[in-house]
Amino acid sequence: MSDHAQHGPGGHGKDHVPHILPLSTYFKTWGALMVLTVITVGASYLNFGPGNLVLAMLIATAKAATVALVFMHLYYDHKFHGVIFVSSLVFLGIFIAFTMFDTETRGRAEAMEGEHPANIKDPFGGTASEAAAKAKLKPAAAPAHH
Amino acid sequence: MSAPAEIVEGQPSAERGSPQFEVAHHFDSADTQFDAGRMGVWLFLVTEILLFGGLFCTFAVFRSWYFEDFVEAHHHLNKVMGGANTLVLIGSSLTMALAVRAAQMTDKKQTTRMLVITLLCAATFLVVKYFEYSAKFEHGLLPGAYFHGEGFQGTHAGVFFAIYFLMTGVHGLHVLIGMGLITWMLIRNLRGDFSSRYYAPVENVGLYWHLVDLVWIYLFPLLYLVG
Amino acid sequence: MSRSITVDEVAAAPDSGGTDYINATKGVWSWLTTVDHKRIGIMYLVSVLTAFALGGFFALLLRLELLTPKHTIMSADTYNQAFTLHGVVMVFLFIIPSIPGALGNFFLPIMIGAKDVAFPRLNLLSLYLYWIGAIFALSSILSSGLDTGWTFYVPYSSTTNTAVVNVTLGAFVLGFSSILTGLNFIVTLHKLRAPGVGWFKMPLFLWGLYATSIVQILATPVLGITLLLLVFERTLHIGIFDPALGGDPVLFQHFFWFYSHPAVYIMILPGMGIISELIAVHAHRKVFGYKAIAFSSVAIALVGFLVWGHHMFVAGQSELASTIFSFLTFLVAIPSGVKVFNWIGTLWGGSISFKAPMLFALSFLFLFTIGGLTGVFLGMLSVDMHLHDTYFVVAHFHYVMMGGTVTAFVGGLHHWWPKMTGRMYSEKLAVLSCALYFIGFNATFFTQFLMGSRGMPRRYYNYLDQFQPLHAFSTFGSWILGAAFLVMLYNLLNSLKNGERAPKNPWGGLSLEWETASPPVTENFVHVPHVEHGPYDYAATVARRAS
Repeated sequence: MSDHAQHGPGGHGKDHVPHILPLSTYFKTWGALMVLTVITVGASYLNFGPGNLVLAMLIATAKAATVALVFMHLYYDHKFHGVIFVSSLVFLGIFIAFTMFDTETRGRAEAMEGEHPANIKDPFGGTASEAAAKAKLKPAAAPAHH
Repeated sequence: MSAPAEIVEGQPSAERGSPQFEVAHHFDSADTQFDAGRMGVWLFLVTEILLFGGLFCTFAVFRSWYFEDFVEAHHHLNKVMGGANTLVLIGSSLTMALAVRAAQMTDKKQTTRMLVITLLCAATFLVVKYFEYSAKFEHGLLPGAYFHGEGFQGTHAGVFFAIYFLMTGVHGLHVLIGMGLITWMLIRNLRGDFSSRYYAPVENVGLYWHLVDLVWIYLFPLLYLVG
Repeated sequence: MSRSITVDEVAAAPDSGGTDYINATKGVWSWLTTVDHKRIGIMYLVSVLTAFALGGFFALLLRLELLTPKHTIMSADTYNQAFTLHGVVMVFLFIIPSIPGALGNFFLPIMIGAKDVAFPRLNLLSLYLYWIGAIFALSSILSSGLDTGWTFYVPYSSTTNTAVVNVTLGAFVLGFSSILTGLNFIVTLHKLRAPGVGWFKMPLFLWGLYATSIVQILATPVLGITLLLLVFERTLHIGIFDPALGGDPVLFQHFFWFYSHPAVYIMILPGMGIISELIAVHAHRKVFGYKAIAFSSVAIALVGFLVWGHHMFVAGQSELASTIFSFLTFLVAIPSGVKVFNWIGTLWGGSISFKAPMLFALSFLFLFTIGGLTGVFLGMLSVDMHLHDTYFVVAHFHYVMMGGTVTAFVGGLHHWWPKMTGRMYSEKLAVLSCALYFIGFNATFFTQFLMGSRGMPRRYYNYLDQFQPLHAFSTFGSWILGAAFLVMLYNLLNSLKNGERAPKNPWGGLSLEWETASPPVTENFVHVPHVEHGPYDYAATVARRAS
């Protein structure tokens, strides 16, 4: 590794120059985060029903965005780093949403099956109640074969 | 990865700020190396978000199923301690950001100071956490099979406390790892590794630390405030 | 991307000499502490091939046991452990790290004209994590074994007395290794491409690896938390997956498959990348539809995150979720189809040389197409009700994973073997091994489609007598398959000793790895290459040479 000198610092172009933010930016950011924390704690003592969760998440997201944009320099950084960060949230969203497609909608078919029990002996023949249900759903459906 | 200092062409290395730092052999410039490191850390943070994401998903599913039980159980968490810890963590995020800024300006003393404060905040956070945990242990507010809290209407408070301990536990582990990393940065800073030319490790540990803060920003309202 | 290097000469590496990466330094220690991506790639190669041999050994035992409907060579408990270990070893220790770890590590930096990956020490760490994870996982063999199947489904995995914790911790560590490799590759591709190597001048193998890395970053952490939850479930009874405590075992499957379905694309995407290389180089023709192949890799990676529920159609998942997952599953067929048609389009009118790598690539096309299309059957709700947990599923994923990924891997291994080792293997033996492989594979697994569609359930120790002829046929096939790998192993190892010295560019490829020496020098190129032509500009190159 070390014998590879032709790309020593001389040949490497300019040094990295840091992007320094003024102190006041940091303190303002900190102030905003403190205020938002107080607001969210305060709001939790009031009852908005489901609104509590929404409000708490909105405030948390505002805080998270502030931290990411200023403290983590995302606002001043390459856009691609922002894309990376946001993509993690998108895929997390997919994960939670698709899992809940399942957990929130279980047990619907059982109720329908209960109303229209299948005839085990003649599963494709259809029972009277099923035929009625079919007729209700699809009036033009062809009669079942026997 | 840095090449030894001898190969600097005739320049006394002390003048260059960080004697230990040279651009690694496979990068074409300091900027590229710096950006590569940052991009790597951001990608790593993605994995952290999805790791915690699994727990958030668990929370979402069970909160929706056992809403009443969760609301009831969350009243047993200590809002004051949780809120205080939130403030402590936000403060530590500020000092961490200021430590990076000081390193960017080659202000070694200020970097040290800020890193030490960050470390103290982190320790405070864990001490508060310790008191919270002991209180839960005392009242039998434990995960799953071990739950034996008294006076609960709902039957699924154990699920809530399982998620509570998992989320805060994994988060606490990250705080602990963060303390290790910050200590390491402190040692390197005292050794004089960092300057405006080279402060990437401080910056990257900073990113990690802010993420720990970020996760807490969501954990706190979900667990302590709305349940 | 702005770059300050202005070296404009095309790399002119020495043909041979003592400075290649193998001879650069001596001794085991120099290998264990190396940060050279090529050496790390070689160590990965040896490791994953060892894992493959171990997993293959279990597979042969399983097939032997299934030769007769009742007890043949092992007890039912041993059988359960053997198929679990076959799965765990093949998935976590072989197929996931195989192509990225071995061929990816070796060739990704070379193909973009870089000296190394972005984080060489992290790369070494990822190899060490692989070893540590492997030790954890395999320690189960010495203790109480594991009989959950590679999927660790609760509630069985949270109650069985076997070494679930060892293996899950092993898989957790292996996940870290996988993440670090993916992270390294993404940053390397973004930051270290040599002057002239634009995104669309990269060889398609790298697009495959890029897409793979995205999946590794996004999906693997969820496996990590899943396995942690499982460990806590076992040790502390947290109840998240235990219905008695209010938990939900199906939730485990969501968590598991949110990783493990995309992980299927971690396995196949690099293989597809290799096939693009093999077909273009050995047909000496510009890839048909470069961008379509490149973007279809990324599309597969992304769509792959939306389909995991098709593993859970009969697990108690809601009908709504199953319907959505079933519909989305069909979408995967689109980018996969795009790839297959583009490969065929590339072959059309090419001057094809039927060397071993090309034969493997053609085998891939045949086997992967069958594997992919049977996947569509399984994605269909009504059909899956019948085929779920039968040998049809076993056959399907072996056609994709083995017929797809392993075929591509060994094809790539033959393609790049001269570059990696500096030696030529015997073409005759290579063709023989490919023929045996193709015959043995189909004999083993096509029969399983037949059995599965007739209702033979997977993972059963005993079976009805009527299935014996097919089971026996499949077992005979597995012996041919085993023989194919023995021939291949002999051929490759023998070449190290007795093979002819490989020229710089034995196949007439145009991508950057063919411009450096065989084997390459320590930092890949003597000068930073400046690339002027694309990796597949065969017509243009021929014209230039003629003029």
